[in-house]
Amino acid sequence: MLLLVILALIVFALARVTGNPADLLLREDATQEDRAHLLKALGLDRPTHEQLLVFLGGALRGDLGQSIRYRKPAVEVFFERLPNTLTLVPLALFGAVVMAIPLGMSAAVYRGTLLDRAANAVAVLGIATPSFWLGIVLIYVFSITLGWLPSARMGSPAHYVLPAITLGAFLVAGMTRLVRSSVLEVLDSEFVKLARLKGVSEVTVLWKHCLRNAMIPVVTLFGVFFALLVTGAIVTETVFAWPGVGRLTYEAVIFRDYPLLQAIILLKAVIVLGVNLAVDILYAYLDPRVRYA
Amino acid sequence: MRSRLTLTLAGLATLILLVGVSLRATAQDKDTLIIALDTLGAQVMDPIADTRAPHAHYHAPLWDSLVGFDLEKGGIGPGVAERWERAADGRSWTFYLRKGQRFHNGDPVTAQDVKFSLERTMSPESIASGAAALRRAIDRIEVVDDHTVRVYTKGVIPHFAASLSRAVFMEGTVMPKKYFEKVGEKGFREKPIGSGPWKFVRNVPGDRIEYEAIDYPHWRGMPQFKRLTLLLVPEQSTRLAMVRTGEASIASIGPEAIKEARAGGMRIVTVPGTMQAVYQFWGLYKPEAKGSPLTDIRVREALSLAIDRQQIIDHVMAKHAQWPMPFATFRYSIDMDSARWDDWAKTALRYDPARAKQLLAEAGHAGGFRLTFFNTALPGTPFMIQIGEAVAGFWEKIGIKVDMKTTEWGAFDPMTRGEQKGLAGTASMYRTAGRPEPAPRYITTFTSKGTQHLFGDPQDCPALCQEGDKAYEAVVGERDDAKRTAATNRMIDQVAKSWVAVPIIEGMGIWAVNPKRVGQFKPIPGRHEFGDVAERMPRPEQRPWP
Repeated sequence: MLLLVILALIVFALARVTGNPADLLLREDATQEDRAHLLKALGLDRPTHEQLLVFLGGALRGDLGQSIRYRKPAVEVFFERLPNTLTLVPLALFGAVVMAIPLGMSAAVYRGTLLDRAANAVAVLGIATPSFWLGIVLIYVFSITLGWLPSARMGSPAHYVLPAITLGAFLVAGMTRLVRSSVLEVLDSEFVKLARLKGVSEVTVLWKHCLRNAMIPVVTLFGVFFALLVTGAIVTETVFAWPGVGRLTYEAVIFRDYPLLQAIILLKAVIVLGVNLAVDILYAYLDPRVRYA
Repeated sequence: MRSRLTLTLAGLATLILLVGVSLRATAQDKDTLIIALDTLGAQVMDPIADTRAPHAHYHAPLWDSLVGFDLEKGGIGPGVAERWERAADGRSWTFYLRKGQRFHNGDPVTAQDVKFSLERTMSPESIASGAAALRRAIDRIEVVDDHTVRVYTKGVIPHFAASLSRAVFMEGTVMPKKYFEKVGEKGFREKPIGSGPWKFVRNVPGDRIEYEAIDYPHWRGMPQFKRLTLLLVPEQSTRLAMVRTGEASIASIGPEAIKEARAGGMRIVTVPGTMQAVYQFWGLYKPEAKGSPLTDIRVREALSLAIDRQQIIDHVMAKHAQWPMPFATFRYSIDMDSARWDDWAKTALRYDPARAKQLLAEAGHAGGFRLTFFNTALPGTPFMIQIGEAVAGFWEKIGIKVDMKTTEWGAFDPMTRGEQKGLAGTASMYRTAGRPEPAPRYITTFTSKGTQHLFGDPQDCPALCQEGDKAYEAVVGERDDAKRTAATNRMIDQVAKSWVAVPIIEGMGIWAVNPKRVGQFKPIPGRHEFGDVAERMPRPEQRPWP
């Protein structure tokens, strides 16, 4: 709770440092009177400390203010767009997991070989490639040149493919490296050696015994990445004209929609905290040694 | 083990490929006109709830305006009112509405709706950009009969009717009184109706707005497509890709994307006279600017002569710009001698670096001087930054040491209001929008009470400022058309020869068009947005592109 209050104060202050939204809404030949009228209509004519008190008071009641641009409750605008992001994020995560786990496992099992080096290269490329560039290249190849997939927006299942790949690409990189490291660590464990001595097949050793133990750090990252994707898919959503909360954040910043920006950041913080809590609970199932009082 | 893993990976890759191939793009709908835009503003279906130009994209299909456009030349023309008259004393205007107009629910459009609409646009709740201007202008509104409405103004306003046209701003939008009173504001915004050629279907926040064509004749034109969809696609390369693949029919683009659009087989439609990129000097009358080289008119003229405008048109704007007229004037402007000013601009705004250096030397600045230049771009015209960089480069070539501060518009605009701290003696990029009358722009920029007051303010109004105030008053107070034209020419002359605010290029609205999705059409000069054009866009087979 204290964290959220501090965050609210920081966001409130930072949003106002960048300028006044009225200046972006007025035409260039607007008079001082026009500006004063607009400030009054938007509630921005009040002193800053009064605006802060109104904001904090409203936040305690769950009212995070009215969006200056959309003229409706900021919370409503956020939740209108959230489902659009939530339909994309699991696909990106699923794709990343499906790619990263086999790649990481192979890199660990065939350590030092060409396969290991290829997996490493994929990891480096994935982290180094800007998602903006990747998205545009994917559009050029798969939409314009090949004509296989639509170039942007929400719609049929085909519309999800390119944004999910773009969003998940950097996840593949990080997860592959992590899976490799975790599996390498577990491969040297005593219980793995015992399993092999007992004649358990290599596939079972790897996919049942090693993977489960190697997944704990991956699950940690999984939770963090999920929260990051939900809260920060700004570039991907902008490139693909995806009407999610990432693009909404960008628009709120550009248009200096203070109430909306404050609401987005606070609600995203709640999502991050919630996901981290869920991850902590999941530990107990994955690792029997972890028990909570 | 190794072969099993390899097989698994190969199978996964094949599956992904097959899934990708099978998920082809859906078949294109030939009956839907799709326009991809970089902004839909507030995307609120209520004319009083949005402030800037996006309304001209997404409100215009649905709602008519009291005064319309001259579709050929640009500027104003008949709208919901087929004609209007100014009273002899200049203090009232009578608008005669077309008969037989109706809203989408069948209710007739009457003078009561016009009165209601104007009053609603002026109401305290309205954040329409011209609401305050309307309140200043209108004294009262009288319904004479079902098809006649009279507006009484506070004082003589020679071009009051123009302010009720989308050629100027949005304040003339005609809304349905009975329907609004029945459903209330919330109901109106959720299911809006108007009298325009397109009916509202759906508004998906952050994504699109859908309309369907009416099935009866309309004075704006009968839509040739059954449906219209406006898509919000912020990224330019994505908009271009969508037009190229046929997912959109038309997309707004900037000059830097023209080459790519043409290479992709798209047609380019340009709308002349939508804006001017200008540079201007701030606070030269203030004590802080005393001693600045910019206070010498020869220096100011030199800075204009140093700019090769044709190069900017050719290389920054990819030839999609025009030689400018004087500040805030266009070839479709009224109340001025366009031919005279066109000729003046060709000579006065020429590129003559030798003369520029000579003037600098005469003014005692042969070695140049330091100049702070705020390079900024107003919303919708990001190419102003590249123009500003080119201008700075030209100034450097004649010895000016330019200290360029590229500043985001939201940060720069507040600096220009009030006391304009930190701006005295500096230059900045700026913009004028395409409007048929110059005078409203001049009050903002050059009069002592204007927001920008480049010549002086009420507390400090030297000779140039007093002349500017008088010149403006002479224009707005003149009821005789010929005398007002002469007064406007004098006002333009005074500003042009001061070299305080100087046009660089006249910009155009630029659109990429898929010729297989929409036929050849004509935009409205001076009007970047297509909200009033969509109903006249033909199908590709009706009017193919050459």
